This record gives sequence, structure tokens and C-alpha cells, in this order.
Amino acid sequence: MQSIKKTSKFLWVCFGLMLTACLFTESAWAHGERSQEPYLRTRTVQYYDVHYDKKTVKVNEEFTLVGKFRLMQDWPDAVSLPETVFLSAYSPGPMITRVESYLNGVPARQSFSKLELGRDYEFKLIMKGRVPGRHHIHPLLSIKGSGPLVGPGQWIEVTGNKADYVLPVTTMNGTEIENIEFYGTSRALKWYGVWISLAAFWLLFWLVRPLLLPRWMALQKGREDVLISTRDITVGVILGVVVVAISFGGYFYSKKEYPYVVPLQAGTNKVDPLPRQKAEVQVVVIKANYDVPGRAMHITARMTNNGSEQLSILEFATANLRFVNQQAPGADTAVSADYPRDLVARDGLGLSDQKPLMPGETRDIKFEASDALWEVERLVSFLTDVDSKFGGLLFFVDKSGKRIITEISGPILPTFTAL
Amino acid sequence: MNTETLQHPRGAAAGKAHAVETVLSVSGLSPQAAHFSRVFELMVVAAIILLFTGAIHLHVLLLAGDWDLFLDWKDRQYWPLLTPVVMIMFPAALQGIFWTFFRLPIGATVGATCLMVAVCITRPASFMWWTDYPLNLVLPAQMIAGAIVLDVFLLVFRNALFTAIFGGFAFAFLFYPSNYTIFAPFYVPVSHQGMMASMADLIGYVYPRSATPEYIRIIERGTLRTFGDSASWVSALFGGFICIFMHYAWWYLGVTMSSMKFLPNNTKVMALMGTKADA
Repeated sequence: MQSIKKTSKFLWVCFGLMLTACLFTESAWAHGERSQEPYLRTRTVQYYDVHYDKKTVKVNEEFTLVGKFRLMQDWPDAVSLPETVFLSAYSPGPMITRVESYLNGVPARQSFSKLELGRDYEFKLIMKGRVPGRHHIHPLLSIKGSGPLVGPGQWIEVTGNKADYVLPVTTMNGTEIENIEFYGTSRALKWYGVWISLAAFWLLFWLVRPLLLPRWMALQKGREDVLISTRDITVGVILGVVVVAISFGGYFYSKKEYPYVVPLQAGTNKVDPLPRQKAEVQVVVIKANYDVPGRAMHITARMTNNGSEQLSILEFATANLRFVNQQAPGADTAVSADYPRDLVARDGLGLSDQKPLMPGETRDIKFEASDALWEVERLVSFLTDVDSKFGGLLFFVDKSGKRIITEISGPILPTFTAL
Repeated sequence: MNTETLQHPRGAAAGKAHAVETVLSVSGLSPQAAHFSRVFELMVVAAIILLFTGAIHLHVLLLAGDWDLFLDWKDRQYWPLLTPVVMIMFPAALQGIFWTFFRLPIGATVGATCLMVAVCITRPASFMWWTDYPLNLVLPAQMIAGAIVLDVFLLVFRNALFTAIFGGFAFAFLFYPSNYTIFAPFYVPVSHQGMMASMADLIGYVYPRSATPEYIRIIERGTLRTFGDSASWVSALFGGFICIFMHYAWWYLGVTMSSMKFLPNNTKVMALMGTKADA
């Protein structure tokens, strides 16, 4: 008796704790990408020049997301190569709908195959507001075998009434569909009703009689003759014939009703990357540290200017974070107004030497990317990385404002004392 | 007692002599006992509906999964092949149980109806109301047509083997035509961004599912290309062939799982159980 009381008390306490835990749970609205490992986000797909043309749209109003991405040459071994990819928008469900998408101008409804490492691609996504609310939207490249790699996310406010959403479509045989959202649904529900009615008839035909115990007892006495009668067989056969007739009759009628049908489209597209920029700058990492208490990445790199113009370091970007050198020419316009401000480092990029790199010059430059963003974005778990390296894009700018993009990558060591 | 075959009642001389007898009178239950038996049956029916609605739904979700869930997975190769092969398992087991112990030819229909009840609840609830997806993206296939025919074959043949051969085959073969009437409008072609797509492809594209990129679809792969647009019938035929064996195996699995087994009361078993035999 005592142990029963104790156990009962214990169970009530557990139940109470569970209820309490449920009260204090938070909803997850955005930033799921922070759970991905640092090497996945810093050394695979680097997004840049990402622009959202609107931050507030009404239901049915279109908005456009454009940008570019580089597939890093130093692709991690633990991540599948981009043999098959799919371009999309990352959203919390169908809060927005896709209208059109393009990769280097090629329609992107289907997946692409054999994208090249070390090359750039341009994307364009046209979307439409559907469900009112505030939704976090990212550009998304999914890689077969590895999963989604997202670009910088932006909060998009959708206003209006969800019931007003329409997406009209005209089929290739001229049929106009008012709203794709309800297409085919009433027909399907009618057919479900037909089949459920037939099933209900058959089940009720047997359920109205003694069902279990009497039948079992009769069977035990060897009186199977009273369990199934001629009438039962007749009704069953007629029902079977009716079912087959409806199945094939409906099939042939549907064939006539929709004479032109196509199978699901399963192929992949191919697309050439953007033209390769001339390799005007060569960057080799000499040393890279992450200062854990200082939340700063210190990189020393040997840079060689192979071009004909002097170059200044404008920006270091990785995993959608941007560290802009405020003293470089064009720094004030480097980050567009629509770029998510929570991904831009407040203090920007610090350099050991602000002098531009002259044509033909080779110099070791140390730069520091310091911001709490590293921790907020959970990019500092180097101790748990299987491949302790970092990657990113380095943007240079010449006197005319022309931008040169280079990849930078190398091993990184975390340090736990202030540097 | 031979639980597999039954002499036809019209051929039984005893049938004529006992023409006015009913199941209740043969069972020997008193009216009060019959009443309580009926109440018990209704409770069992409710329990079976609850239990098998959940079980068969989980089973189909795990095995057939995306082919049954999404419109843009219903192709001509994998869908007509995999879905009936997966969906026949529980109905076959239920048939085995209901027929063996009660001579009730309703097992397959019970399974199919329970699945229909489950998806009629979960698809609107999970996709439409919870996550705002349109219902046409997640319309389920039905297997009631094949299940009724499977039950009718059992009723006529009264034999597990013939039911498996003819009924199991028919279950899979009927799957495609009986569902084509529902899904035919979704194979109508549209031009999207200058490329041809079916309405199913377009609906799948328009409503983003971030965790299921397009390349994940296992559709229209492999050969069967020499059959042109008859690939679906080849899949249906092959599915029927597999269903024969699947039905037979799951019939006996159902009967075995619902049978009582006893261990003999000897010293070996007692030693195995860790109890000491009497001196």
C-alpha cells in the first residue's frame, strides 16, 4: 500500500513537471541554420549580393529575391559534392509560394546536376505572399546527400487575408483553372465518398448480425454451414462485380475526360556557371586563430596582386556574416539597405595594414573579424568539427570601384586565452 | 478443425435439415448472454477501429511514406508497385484472423477502411490546418476497391492459398485504375517557365517543402521504357505478383500472432524459466 502511494506520488510529480516544462517552451520561428556545423556553413556555399526587393507584401503580391553564390573550391570531404542540387526558398511552410525561379537564367523548377566547385552562379526567385504574418525567408540550395545550405534570411511581412490567395493557371489544352489551391479536391472527395460508402455497406452487412462470440462458438461446434449463406455469397459477388466495374469504368471514363496527360517530370537541368573572373589576387593563409574569449577570428594571409590596379581589402564574408573594412573605398555602399542587419558585424573588419596592395606586390596582411556574431550564429564550435578549417570570401576593390572576389580557406586553431 | 477450407453450405446435407437455424441458436447462448455478447462486440469494434486506425496508418506512413503522402510522388512506376505491396500487409493479417476464428470475410475491408479513417483525419489536420498546405497536395490513395474484391475472393474460395493468388493479385491490379479516377486531373500538362510540367509537379513546386527538395522524389527511374505509357500497367502486374506472396505470408503472420501458444509443463521448461522442479 505504501509503495503504491509512493509510486502514485512520484508519477504525479513527473506529470506536474512535464506540464510546467510545456508552459515555458518557446516557439521556434527562425535561425534553424545555426544548428548546422561551422565547416558546413563556411566552406560550402557562400552567398553574396543577395537582395530582397520588398520586406512587406500583401497576400497575392509578388516579391523577388536575387543573388549569387560561390561553391567553394575547398569543399569539405564530409559534404557530398554538388552533383545534384535544388534551388528554392527556405520558409516556414507555404507562407509564401514560389512563382518562378532561375539559376543563371535557366528555369529552376527541377533540380540541377553537376555544378562546379570554385565557380559562381546567379539565382532569382519570384515569390508571392500567401499566409499573413511575419516569416523568415532564406534563399536555399539543397545538395543531394548533404541537405540544405541557406543564404541570408530576411523577415518578410505578409499582410491581408489568406482566403484571398489565388493562383490561376491555364493548362496546355486551354483549360483555365481559377485557383490551383482547390484544383481536383472536390472530385477526389466525391470518389472517396463512393468508396467509403461501398466499404460501409459491406461492413454493415456483417456487423448487423452476431459478430464474434456466437460465430466462434458455432465454428467450434463444426457448424460452419450457418455462418455463410448463399445470400451472403450472392451479395458479395455482386458487390465485387460492382467494384470492378466502377474501377475500370471510372478509369476509362477518366481517360476520355483527360485525353492528354503527361507523367511526372523527373529529369535534371544543366547550367554553365558564370564566366570566371580573372585571378587577379592570390591569397594563401599563413595562420588562422579563433580567439574564444575575444570572439574574434585572426587571419594572417600572404596576398599577391597579379592585376594592373592597386587593390584594397573591402570585405570578408563567411556563412552570411559580413565584416566590412570601413576604411576601404566604397565601404559605405558595400552593404545594401535591404541586407539583414543582424548579419553585419558592427565594428567591421580590422586590418594590420590599410595600405592598398600595389600591382605585382606580395605582402602578409593580418586581418581581424571580431564580433559577438560568431557566437550568436554558433560558428565557434571548432572543437567539435571533424575538419577544423575555415572558409570565406575576400572582396577586394580597386580605385574605380571594381570588385574582385577571392576565396580564402585554411586550417584554424581555437585559442582560449586572449591574443 | 480444418480452419482453411470449408464445404460449401449448399452441398451440405445438414444445411437442409437445419434451414431455420441461426448463428445464435447454434451457439447455444441464452438471450441475456447474447445481449452481453453484443455489447462486448461493439466494444471490440470500437477498440479495433482505434487500434488499427493508428497501426495501419503508421505502417503505411513508414513504408509507403511519401508515395502516399504527396501528389508529386504518384508516378507510373513506384507508386502503383510499392503502395499496394505495403497496403496489403495489414488487411491480409486481418483477413487471416477474422476468417480463421470467426469466418468473417471483412478483414481486408476493415483494414482499408481504418486507413481511410486515419488519413481523413490526419491529412486535413496535419497539412491543412496545422501547416497551411492545400489539401490537394496531400490527397491519399484509397485501397478500398482492392480490399473489397480481396474479401469477396475469400468468401467465394474459402481458401487462403487461392485468395492469395487471385485476391492478392487483384488487390494490386485494381489499385491503379481505381485511383486513376481521383488523380487523372493532376496529370494534365501545363507550361511553366517555358518547360512542360504536370499539374502535380506544379502544385508540388508552388508550395515549398523546404525539407524535401525536388531531387528527393523517387519517381520515374529505372527502365520499363520500352513499354511507353503502359509502364503503369507493368508496375501493376508486378505489384500483383508480389502481393500474392505478401498476402500469403501476412495471413499466416496474423493467424500466428493471434493464437495462444503453450509451453509444456516439464522439467526442461521449468529449468529454462528458473523454477525448481518438485523433488
